[in-house]
Amino acid sequence: MTERRVKNLLDPDLHKDSCGFGLIANLDDLPSHWVVATAIDALARLTHRGAVAADGKTGDGCGLLIKFPESFLRNVGEELGFTLNTRFAAGTVFLSRDKARGDAGRKAISKALGQFGLHVAGWREVPVDPSACGAQALATMPRIEQVFVNGRDTMPRGAFNRKLFLARRRAEKRLGDSDTYVASLSSATISYKGMVMPAALPDFYPDLRDPRMESSVCVFHQRFSTNTLPEWKLAQPFRFLAHNGEINTIRGNRNWATARAKNFVSDKLDDISDLDPIVSLTGSDSSSLDNMLEVLRAGGMDVLQAMRILIPPAWQTVDNIDPDVRAFYEFWDGQQEPWDGPAGIVLTDGHYAVCCLDRNGLRPARYVITGDRHLTVASEVGVYDYDERDVVEKGRLGPGEMLAVDLVNGTMLDNDDIHDILKSRAPYKKWLKRGVRYLDSLLIDSRMAAEPFDAETLASYQKMFNLSREELREVVAVIAKAEAEPVGSMGDDTPMAVLSQKIRSPFDYFRQQFAQVTNPPIDSLREQIVMSLQTNIGGESNLFEIGPHHAEQVIINSPVLSQAKLRQLLGPDMFGGNHTFVDLNVDENLGLEEALGQICAQVEKGVRDGNLIVMLSDRYLEKGKLPVHALLATGAVHHHLVNTGLRCDCNIIVETGVARDAHQIACLIGYGATLVYPYLVYQSLHDIAQRGNIDKQQQLGRSYRRGIRKGLFKIMSKMGISAISSYRGAQLFEIVGLGDDVVDRCFKGTTSRIQGTNFDDLWYDQKQLAQAAWEPRETIDQGGLYKYVHGGEYHCYNPDVIATLQKAVRTGEYADYEEYAKLVNQRPVATLRDLMKLKPAGDPIPLDEVEPVESILPRFDSAGMSLGALSPEAHEALAIAMNRLGARSNSGEGGEDPARYGTERMSKIKQVASGRFGVTAEYLINAEVIQIKIAQGAKPGEGGQLPGHKVNEMIATLRYAKPGVGLISPPPHHDIYSIEDLAQLIFDLKQVNPEALVSVKLVAEPGVGTIAAGVVKAYADLITISGYDGGTGASPLSSVKYAGSPWELGLSETHQVLRAQDMRHQVRLQTDGGLKTGLDVIKAAMLGAESFGFGTGPMVALGCKYLRICHLNNCATGVATQNNVLRSEYFIGLPEMVVNFFRFIAEEVRRRMAELGVAKFEDLIGRTDMLELKEGETVRQSRLDLSPILSTDGLAKDTPQFCTDPKNEPFDKGELAEEIVETCLPAIEGKTGGRFGFEIRNFNRSIGARLAGEIARRHGNHGMADAPLDILLRGTAGQSFGAWTVAGLNLTLEGDANDYVGKGMNGGRIVIRPPEDAGYIARDTAIIGNTCLYGATGGELYAAGRAGERFAVRNSGANAVIEGAGDHCCEYMTGGVVVVLGKTGVNFGAGMTGGFAYVLDVERDFVDLYNHQLIDIHRINPETMEAHLHHLRELILTHVEQTASVWGDAILEDYRSFAPKFWLVKPKAAELGSLFASLSQAA
Amino acid sequence: MSKYPLQFLEVPRKDPEKEAAEERIKHFGEIYGAYDGADAGAQAGRCLACGNPYCEWKCPVHNYIPNWLALVEEGKLFEAADLSHQTNSLPEICGRVCPQDRLCEGACTLEDANGAVTIGSIEKYITDTAVAQGWRPDMSNVSDTGKRVGIVGAGPAGLAAADVLARNGIRSVVFDAYPEIGGLLTYGIPPFKLEKHIVRTRREILEGMGVQFVLNTRIGDDKPFEELLDEYDAVFLGMGTYEYVRGGFPGEGLPGVVDALPYLVGNAYRELGHDESDAPYIDLQGKHVVVLGGGDTGMDCNRTAIRQGAASVTCAYRRDEENMPGSRREVANSKEEGVTFLFNRQPLEILGNETGVTGVRVIETKMGAPAPDGRRRPEPIEGSETILAADAVVIAFGFRPDPPEWFGDFGIDTLDSGRVLVRSMGAIPYQTSNPKVFAGGDMVRGSDLVVTAVHEGREAAKGIARFLGV
Repeated sequence: MTERRVKNLLDPDLHKDSCGFGLIANLDDLPSHWVVATAIDALARLTHRGAVAADGKTGDGCGLLIKFPESFLRNVGEELGFTLNTRFAAGTVFLSRDKARGDAGRKAISKALGQFGLHVAGWREVPVDPSACGAQALATMPRIEQVFVNGRDTMPRGAFNRKLFLARRRAEKRLGDSDTYVASLSSATISYKGMVMPAALPDFYPDLRDPRMESSVCVFHQRFSTNTLPEWKLAQPFRFLAHNGEINTIRGNRNWATARAKNFVSDKLDDISDLDPIVSLTGSDSSSLDNMLEVLRAGGMDVLQAMRILIPPAWQTVDNIDPDVRAFYEFWDGQQEPWDGPAGIVLTDGHYAVCCLDRNGLRPARYVITGDRHLTVASEVGVYDYDERDVVEKGRLGPGEMLAVDLVNGTMLDNDDIHDILKSRAPYKKWLKRGVRYLDSLLIDSRMAAEPFDAETLASYQKMFNLSREELREVVAVIAKAEAEPVGSMGDDTPMAVLSQKIRSPFDYFRQQFAQVTNPPIDSLREQIVMSLQTNIGGESNLFEIGPHHAEQVIINSPVLSQAKLRQLLGPDMFGGNHTFVDLNVDENLGLEEALGQICAQVEKGVRDGNLIVMLSDRYLEKGKLPVHALLATGAVHHHLVNTGLRCDCNIIVETGVARDAHQIACLIGYGATLVYPYLVYQSLHDIAQRGNIDKQQQLGRSYRRGIRKGLFKIMSKMGISAISSYRGAQLFEIVGLGDDVVDRCFKGTTSRIQGTNFDDLWYDQKQLAQAAWEPRETIDQGGLYKYVHGGEYHCYNPDVIATLQKAVRTGEYADYEEYAKLVNQRPVATLRDLMKLKPAGDPIPLDEVEPVESILPRFDSAGMSLGALSPEAHEALAIAMNRLGARSNSGEGGEDPARYGTERMSKIKQVASGRFGVTAEYLINAEVIQIKIAQGAKPGEGGQLPGHKVNEMIATLRYAKPGVGLISPPPHHDIYSIEDLAQLIFDLKQVNPEALVSVKLVAEPGVGTIAAGVVKAYADLITISGYDGGTGASPLSSVKYAGSPWELGLSETHQVLRAQDMRHQVRLQTDGGLKTGLDVIKAAMLGAESFGFGTGPMVALGCKYLRICHLNNCATGVATQNNVLRSEYFIGLPEMVVNFFRFIAEEVRRRMAELGVAKFEDLIGRTDMLELKEGETVRQSRLDLSPILSTDGLAKDTPQFCTDPKNEPFDKGELAEEIVETCLPAIEGKTGGRFGFEIRNFNRSIGARLAGEIARRHGNHGMADAPLDILLRGTAGQSFGAWTVAGLNLTLEGDANDYVGKGMNGGRIVIRPPEDAGYIARDTAIIGNTCLYGATGGELYAAGRAGERFAVRNSGANAVIEGAGDHCCEYMTGGVVVVLGKTGVNFGAGMTGGFAYVLDVERDFVDLYNHQLIDIHRINPETMEAHLHHLRELILTHVEQTASVWGDAILEDYRSFAPKFWLVKPKAAELGSLFASLSQAA
Repeated sequence: MSKYPLQFLEVPRKDPEKEAAEERIKHFGEIYGAYDGADAGAQAGRCLACGNPYCEWKCPVHNYIPNWLALVEEGKLFEAADLSHQTNSLPEICGRVCPQDRLCEGACTLEDANGAVTIGSIEKYITDTAVAQGWRPDMSNVSDTGKRVGIVGAGPAGLAAADVLARNGIRSVVFDAYPEIGGLLTYGIPPFKLEKHIVRTRREILEGMGVQFVLNTRIGDDKPFEELLDEYDAVFLGMGTYEYVRGGFPGEGLPGVVDALPYLVGNAYRELGHDESDAPYIDLQGKHVVVLGGGDTGMDCNRTAIRQGAASVTCAYRRDEENMPGSRREVANSKEEGVTFLFNRQPLEILGNETGVTGVRVIETKMGAPAPDGRRRPEPIEGSETILAADAVVIAFGFRPDPPEWFGDFGIDTLDSGRVLVRSMGAIPYQTSNPKVFAGGDMVRGSDLVVTAVHEGREAAKGIARFLGV
């Protein structure tokens, strides 16, 4: 048993946080109290980015890291009678309030300091005012003291700080996980932090108000945690840094830091054992990063270099990068994998003040430099009230950029300055040139397998490795033919591996982790620029003493080897032909565990003998031996090597027959494999090609690897990871159904909560397979995992189930329904809930005492299924049925025909998904519930897909897209990269429609409960937890099969967490995923749900036969197709069938309630005591321990079990928005329009949305066009300025704005211009933030300045003029016109399929900046394209009129010279001549 | 999958060419033509490859239908034949005689959308064409286990058992009382549905796999059962059901009243040129024939009578058309060929004298409430009696098991109905109460389809293999 085992599903390791952050620095290192005071002020103005507890006083923590305020500390120290040397330090320490334990902590620290020759001058009790704290914070408030430490005056500051660091680590090690916490201990910085609201920080710490408290740098941070149990020590900043975002790669980073420990050798760090572990393995990701930075810095690296190594920009795929800079990154990439994730970091070590962003630039960082030489960087612009006239420069950090102040030299260092410093520190390029070798890929290895197996041998291998005909045909061959993963539809309706009665691959126990809410997935297709599979092979050595030997690496562009590459790698030219070959085939009489032990020992010996390459191979099967599964072997070997400190001395190559699809290869890499050689795939492809089933000309091996490449990118990007080196060993999976023996030995550290299959079972399977493998008469298995096959895997929607259900809904006879329900309720165990049975609460009651069907029905929703995926007939039938039942249907993410609004055909739930198709103010106000789809059970971490052939004219109109062009929604919502972003979107939606409830749809995975807690704190009213078994209209098969957990786990975890944190009453909890009968509903209720979503069930009721061809548009039942013939002739669905379906289920619920003795449905909710576990039907089922799902351990009995609050009202009341509405309402109601003026500041968010909602409610999207409201504003606008605006709403802002300007805009005009007297050059200055015009469907935007990242992402109709843009401009655009009068970032127009853009390319580098996949660019020929010249001129003219743009004016002045410098950017598929036509169509 | 998703709409269902009724009734040859490769490919390409292959689900042997349809579309005929034989020992026969409209094709998703895939015809095409091109089952991986099994009955169950046993390295010897193999395939099913050279080809294939046939040998008469038990490691009984069901009304014994089986067998003997003394030919030429019974046997009798030159053929059945057990296709074919159907007519008495039949007295029925088996019972309508004039009556009410008396001597238990008692579940399915004896097919389950007999023979063979430790 390991310590991670908990009795319930609450896991403290899974808490996530995010925040607002920033720093203020004086460029000349002049200390002042103003810096401290302003930082606190700024922090308070970011309050909306943090979370507030119900008491309104307890925040999730905030704090300051202040450059050592030496005079203040000397003063207060000496006041207390301390004798302080010239060289002294101070530390802030949280001690236990228990006297004995507090004393022990103090003593341990003093002692450790003494051991390093340092003397404690005294302990100061830091004055605090507890009344600033809320009750929750008070309960855990520590005793806060400062320790003053003297060093020898001759001791250099660096050496002194190093000793302080080592002493602290030693003390921490000795104290263990106690309640003593050293927040800072240094002569360079000191921290003040606590669980209070930002504004209350100086109240809590009177020190901060003391005018003597002067400093030149102040780093500040405000936390939004998914956890409400206050943890003082998790408040940021840490010793060096404050982090906004999340380190997605944290598990891998921690493991590698441990593995690499002995490479941290420095004369400066004499006793490395004090640093064990190098980084903390628990606590927050940010604190581990801080640890790592500390170690690197203590070893002698400066923070600039350390941070660039830890969080590098995307350098592999960028073309125009300085070769020396590239060499720097390439060199270090071989030594240290990236710590990737959404990251905005601010830090100071006293020498530098630094801000940097991760390669994706997913957190905002805006900076301002004022005339008095102060730099302010923060999540938002406008965090204190500087005078625009004093501003020298304003800007934003781009993806992967770093900005620093060298306080010692008083200089600002921009990204290039820092690169110049770093690249020149060593001859990286020369070293690499000498050391790096590449595997030759010129050899075309068309045979794939040099020694092809004969038919019998091949069959033996295929049987031994459980490769079915289905997998060969539907997966392996498809990957090789299409160079992409196979796509399927519907969901996974088979049992989890542990529940199955078939032999399932061990890979099937692994569920891919995915990012949701607290971090975003990446779009590996559209933003491939950040992705890399580059794999380095070679040894690693000391990080602190670099030399040419570090560069001796072999570099491969992918971790999946061809035979040719494998041979080169093992050949004499690379590593002298030396490697350790470890045969995974072992004597069948050996136990599996024993075999693993032997394998590990063999590997260890090989590595100790100096072999850099370890080859684990199951390639040589032998009768009488059994192959140890390569995944088990890889995991066990990897962990063994990490534990013995040898992991970084070798590279693991896995030569295996078990890995075929991307998931399987990802598992091997995720558990430590460096390279994978899937020989059985090549052998099988060779055979397929021989038999003429695939075009022999195609290089199948290469095509297969390309397909896998995409699959690996997708799996990594699902978790928000860019580089395979960070994915390797990161164990980003949840294990469902493996026993502790297996997990502890092979996959230690992976979440695994319910036990299950053990080593004996796995070995038994292997024996069974071997029996068939060596029996020539046995044919290879037919399969049945994807599609139903008689005698194959059980399918919950098998033909019998479909047939009986369809009969029942047509006859309307309850007896017929019972036939169906019996088939489902008595099926072989296929889901976790099938192992639970109901236990009556008391005696049965008469049926008529149970609440009626009508009061149960409102608990049922239909799951989000878009019009587009479904035919209009099916979509409307569903809506009508749900409305008649008094339940709600969900529009899905495809918009809705306004003709349906207000009628029986309207969907009462409107979905907002990442594609934002048709999401306008009018759409949103026609909703009772607005659902934000964060993830979908069938493919969490990925966006929806609508294949092009389903996009007909009608669908295209509703989605503001082009007919025939496929629509793939982005994997992330581009306005949700973090929990506070979700809070912002919820706020936006509540502003536009204050009456609607906002719902957030999540997918079950470990930690979903804590994410849900965060979502409640972000003010969601409803949460849906979806299981892995949800449906889909189109999705990669590997996503359907391998991502997402059972809802039983997710729902129960969420219910437990919300109860533990006393939040359950604030939110309605829904679950969906494979719900089929009343029994399902009752069990889900007992596990904590009060509302239930159904997707596939009602579809089947409407005639769907579970054909799994939705993505082909040929659904023969007319349900999931847009084909006219199929819809009109073969669709037989009627609303009555759906009505029957739901009434049957409700009736079954009632009958069961009567049997259970429960009259009211709400008395079932959360009643896990009414469930009892059944004996399993198989040995492995019986090994499961499902008690954590039913546990109520640690939960107070009286905490509510269901939602009792009518609504979850945001803390921010949006006062300015209310004031504006109050002022303008008469003008709206009277449809008179008018001009109104207001002041605005950064905390006034979503301004415009409230008005847009009021207008749309009364006049629709277009009704006010003729009587516009002109709203004039001055200042800095908060986030989402002008969100959801509609025609007739014109916003003019003098000042600047933050992220999401014009989000979802459908009409009207947004104008943003700098104040006339601004001291900076507008066209060089950031005026609006990231992700502006996201999902806009119309309207105009003019901004006299630069925009941030992803300008006009998913724009499908707005016209805009800006003067510069960040990366990914016009991403996924499907309509509208964008003019950029200046430089753009990289990846312009990725995924752009509609609309067009004009880009002014003065520096003539746009060719390298745009994404060549879907768009082309043209010079505007004055002779043939005169109309475009005029059009462009008109747009600039309007821009100048509206914004008084100086630069626009200059262009117009000399238009003949500028015109040839513009590019017209258009989708390749669009004809040049048709661009205007499409424009007028959209309008 | 590269094929065109809407093929099922663009290419309508097309059965192979069927000979016109007026021509086909002149002979006993098969009435359906065969696909060429292009037709077969185009028809196979209509398959949607559903997530739930209802065809496979409904098929008693669970043929991998979508998979072999795909192979046909791709032109991989031999692979299709291999795959087809993985689940079915007699696919070319099932392709001809299965009531597809009640099984695979009836369940096909496209049945409700532009017509089911022509599964039966494609199944027939696969094996016919592959065999003609030289395809034979690949036995290269099979090595002889040295075990021997005796099989009683060369009907579908016995042949299927022999096939599966051979593939498992178990040699078998099949005994049958008739001069040719096939049982009812040869002697019961008229050649216009299944030409006999098909069965002979199958015999060659099986012999090529090492199966031996000993014909004209009735176990119990010509060779004692005991010898089988001594000579073989196990015995499989697939003796079918030959006891025909009677209606139990007056007049059944009159001359001119013919039982379906002797009628069909006699006809087969003549067609095959066998010695007719074992099975006399019953000639209905020029007669007004009434066929009683609505199953496939009834249809076979109807159409045989037509081909013999009957003056008229009337088929009377006590339920309505919807509740008739016979395959829709065969009813349609019968109608085309001139058979008159009278539904909701229950026979009460056959009229006539020593010289012959004169008619059948029937009463009209209406459909009553469903019985426990789900089928609606016909209820006579009082006062609706009529007389159908006839000078020959064929009784086709079905068959029931007729276990030989010697079963008891060897501890082979039967149920009251005469069906042999076997273990259908568990480790060794289809084992009788004598551990060494297995049984399957109609004699176990009562008279049923060819394909179900095939299924039982196959499953029993697997049971035998397990019993023999192979």
